[in-house]
Order: sequence, then C-alpha cells, then structure tokens
Amino acid sequence: MLKKALLALPVALAVGASANADSWKAPEDVLQGLIDSIDSMYLTQSEMNIMMMPDNPALWVADDGRELFHTPRGPNNVSLEACDFGKGPGVLEGAYVELPRYFEDTGRVMDLENRLVHCMITIQGFEPDDPAVRQRHGSGSDHMQLQTYIAMQSSGMAWNPPMEHPLEVAMRDAGEVMFYRRSGIADFNCNTCHGEAGKQIRASVLPHKGTAEEWSKAISWPAFRVGHDHVRSSQHRIRGCYWQMRGPLINPNSDASIALMSYWTDAARGQPAILPDMKR
Amino acid sequence: MFKKTPVAAGIAAFASIMIAGGVAVADKIDYTAMTPQELAEYLIFEAGGFNLDQEVQEGGTAMQRMVQDDMHKACSVIGGGKPDQATLNEVRTAAAESITYPEGGIQLGDWQRGRDLAWSGFGFRIGHNPDNHDARPVGGNCYNCHQLATDRTGGTVGPSLTGYGKTRGTSDAILKYAYDMIYNPHAYFPCTNMPRFGSSGFLTQEAIADIMAYMFDPESPVNQ
Repeated sequence: MLKKALLALPVALAVGASANADSWKAPEDVLQGLIDSIDSMYLTQSEMNIMMMPDNPALWVADDGRELFHTPRGPNNVSLEACDFGKGPGVLEGAYVELPRYFEDTGRVMDLENRLVHCMITIQGFEPDDPAVRQRHGSGSDHMQLQTYIAMQSSGMAWNPPMEHPLEVAMRDAGEVMFYRRSGIADFNCNTCHGEAGKQIRASVLPHKGTAEEWSKAISWPAFRVGHDHVRSSQHRIRGCYWQMRGPLINPNSDASIALMSYWTDAARGQPAILPDMKR
Repeated sequence: MFKKTPVAAGIAAFASIMIAGGVAVADKIDYTAMTPQELAEYLIFEAGGFNLDQEVQEGGTAMQRMVQDDMHKACSVIGGGKPDQATLNEVRTAAAESITYPEGGIQLGDWQRGRDLAWSGFGFRIGHNPDNHDARPVGGNCYNCHQLATDRTGGTVGPSLTGYGKTRGTSDAILKYAYDMIYNPHAYFPCTNMPRFGSSGFLTQEAIADIMAYMFDPESPVNQ
C-alpha cells in the first residue's frame, strides 16, 4: 500500500513534465543509464545495491518527508509549501539539481539543508534550536525526510547549479581551492581520494571527481547508506570526509560547507542526478 | 603561519547594505572582492567553517589541522597536478632533512603487532567522533591504500607491497629506504599523497619498527 503511494509520485511527475532528457526518471533507471554510458568500476561495484535500488529504504523516508512537507507545522502552523527553493514558492521539481544557488532574500548562496533551515525558521516559526531544525542526521530526522522528499523531485535531471550571480561563482571557486587544499597531520585533501579513476580504498572503489558520470552518483545525496542503515545527506558526507582526513568538524551551517558543495555540484554539471541513491 | 590578509581584503571590500524587500538584512563582507584563495582561507578560519577550538590528540587545537605548512602549500595544486620542478626539489630537500633515525639504527620490531597496525585506521580522527588514544594504539592504516598480505584486501591508491621483503631482501639500504618512505615519503616522491608518518608524529618509532617487521620479516604473511 505504501509502495503504491510511493510509485504514484514519480508517475504524476513524469506525466506533468515535458518529454525531454530533463524529465523525472526513477533513480534505478538513471543509474543504469550511467552504467550503460561508461566503463566504470565505481558505478558497478555493488551488484546488490544496484539490485536493491527499486526497494531503496530511502523511498519510505521520502514518503515521510512528503507528509512533513505538506503538513502545517511549527509555531506558525503552516506547511513548507511557501518555501522557495529557487524555482518559486513550493516548486520542488528540478529545484535540487540547481542548488546551491544565490537567494536574494538572504543575500547568500545556500544548499538544500540551509535553505530548509531558513524556511523552517522564517516561515514555520521554529526556533533554531528546535529538534526539527537542529537534528540533521538519521532517517528519523525531519531533515533527512524533508531533504530526501525534496531532492527526489529532481531525479534524472541534470545537475545545473546556476553561475549567474557573482557570489555563486565566488563560492564555487573557493570550494575548488578547499578541494585541493592539503593540511593536517595526515596531509590529505579531497583530491587524495578523488583525483584518479578506478582507485580503491580497501575494497571500495572511489568516485573520480574528473569523471562526471561517476561524480554524479558520488554527489547524489540523500542516499541510503547500507552500512549505516540510514539515509545520509551531502552535509553528512562532507563531515565524514573531513573526519577521515583527520580534519576538524565542519559546521553544516557554514559557507565553507556550501562552497565545497557548489564546487562538487558544478563538477557533475550535465549529468543526471540519482535521487535518492543507495550507497555502501 | 596563516596571515590575516583575507579578512583585511574582505573588510576593505566592505559591501553596501543589502536590501531585500525593503529590509536591510545584513552587512556583508564582499566575497566577490576576494581571490578564491583568500575566500577559502576566510571561510575556513574566520567565518565559522569548522570547529577549530577542539582539542586534538597531539596537543593544541583543531586549528592546526587546517593551517598549512610549507609542503601543504607547495603541493596544493588546483586541478591536482604537481608544482614546478624547483618547488618539487625544495619539498624533496626539506623532507630529507626532516628524517631522524632511532638510536641504535633502524630495527625491525614485531611483525604480528605490525600486522594489526598496518590494518588499523584508528588514530587522530577528531570532530564528531574523536579517537581516544588511551583506548587503542594508533594504526598506520596502510591497507587503506596498499595491498600487503593477500589474506586481506588493500587499496590501490598506493602501489602493492605484497612480498615486499621477500623480493627486496633486508639490506641496510632497503631498510633505510622503507623507513624513509614511512617517515617522510616526500624525500623520494615530492608531493606524494602518502602521509609523513614520522615527521608528522602520526606513528611512534616503535610502531614504525613493527610495521617494517610486517613488511620484511620472512615469517610475515606479507612475504608468504
């Protein structure tokens, strides 16, 4: 029954969208398309995950997110339908693949998580320390449910973060510097692991930043992480990378985290997003 | 040390008050007036990008995990390439000069302990889940990037070291080379991805000796 409800969503979207390459596509079909387009050890490394994609537990998390999104909540008792993710209030289709982007109302380039925080506070009236706003991780968190639901509306669409506002360019370029910036007791940067195709950390094949088809999957968050048994966000991935690199805790509300995301999204430009994805 | 120039640049380029819907929302430091390098430094050190106050295992705070030394600066090349030859030579020379040897010369330790250390990724992680060095020894995490004994799966970021001692023997020269490579690999491969396990204080002399035993001991699974 739940599954039927879930499946109805993509169909409704697909019917509404024009029949171009940028219309909604089921995440498992997007992944298969990428696998068919390129020889990649990274894309094909987990046969089990590929098989499980149609039953991705993240789909249920997205369904919870739909409920949350459209239900009046918070001190102001309103839904998030008035929230503008860049394509107009309440417009979710294709919004996520165009994030991070500059928002005039805040004067800031924002990723999905920070935009969501902004709307929960300014529209719904939540306090910044309310658990709904503060709790960012875990499939049971409002954030993961909402982010998964919102992001899912962009599955199959090409990553296309706007580079029209000078701040969007500045943030991407600073993110690029951060990506290649070595530091710390272990001397790592992002490029240590993502600078060459087909390399492995232990048994895991790493995604190569310079291979856009691989990178598109790599940045396709939210994704269900099988090893964690939770849906995880882009911010969670960045936190984990800095932890592995022996770096400090990144602040999820920071422009540093958004700059990295601007750069990594730009690096996947033109490739279709897999939303939600499934990862090891 | 990190200089305050990014802030100065930002303040010099102070933007006008931004108006949105008739309401002044913020006095903004103008990111677009900074170079990408200045902005990155500003976001890391001045704009609350990271928790830099956390205490770290080597003493001091997380700030020093983000401050770049000369090697970091020389080897952080946009696009991932290498710097020019003169810079590489400087990195190589500085690395060679950083290497110190144990009293009594390079020794092989206990390969069984070395096996655990070569496998273990524990140590120096901070942030949301800091490693407590009192609880477990710090590992070298060698398997992350190298294949060693074939009973476990290693990574391919670095070259395979399977059969290392068996194929190379245990001459003083090869022991010194292996020691140097663990201690500071930039002495041979400037701007390599590999950490400077000795120079950085990541591994103790004892741990290096144990890991070297794992690489060289004829009994070690690496050489079977």
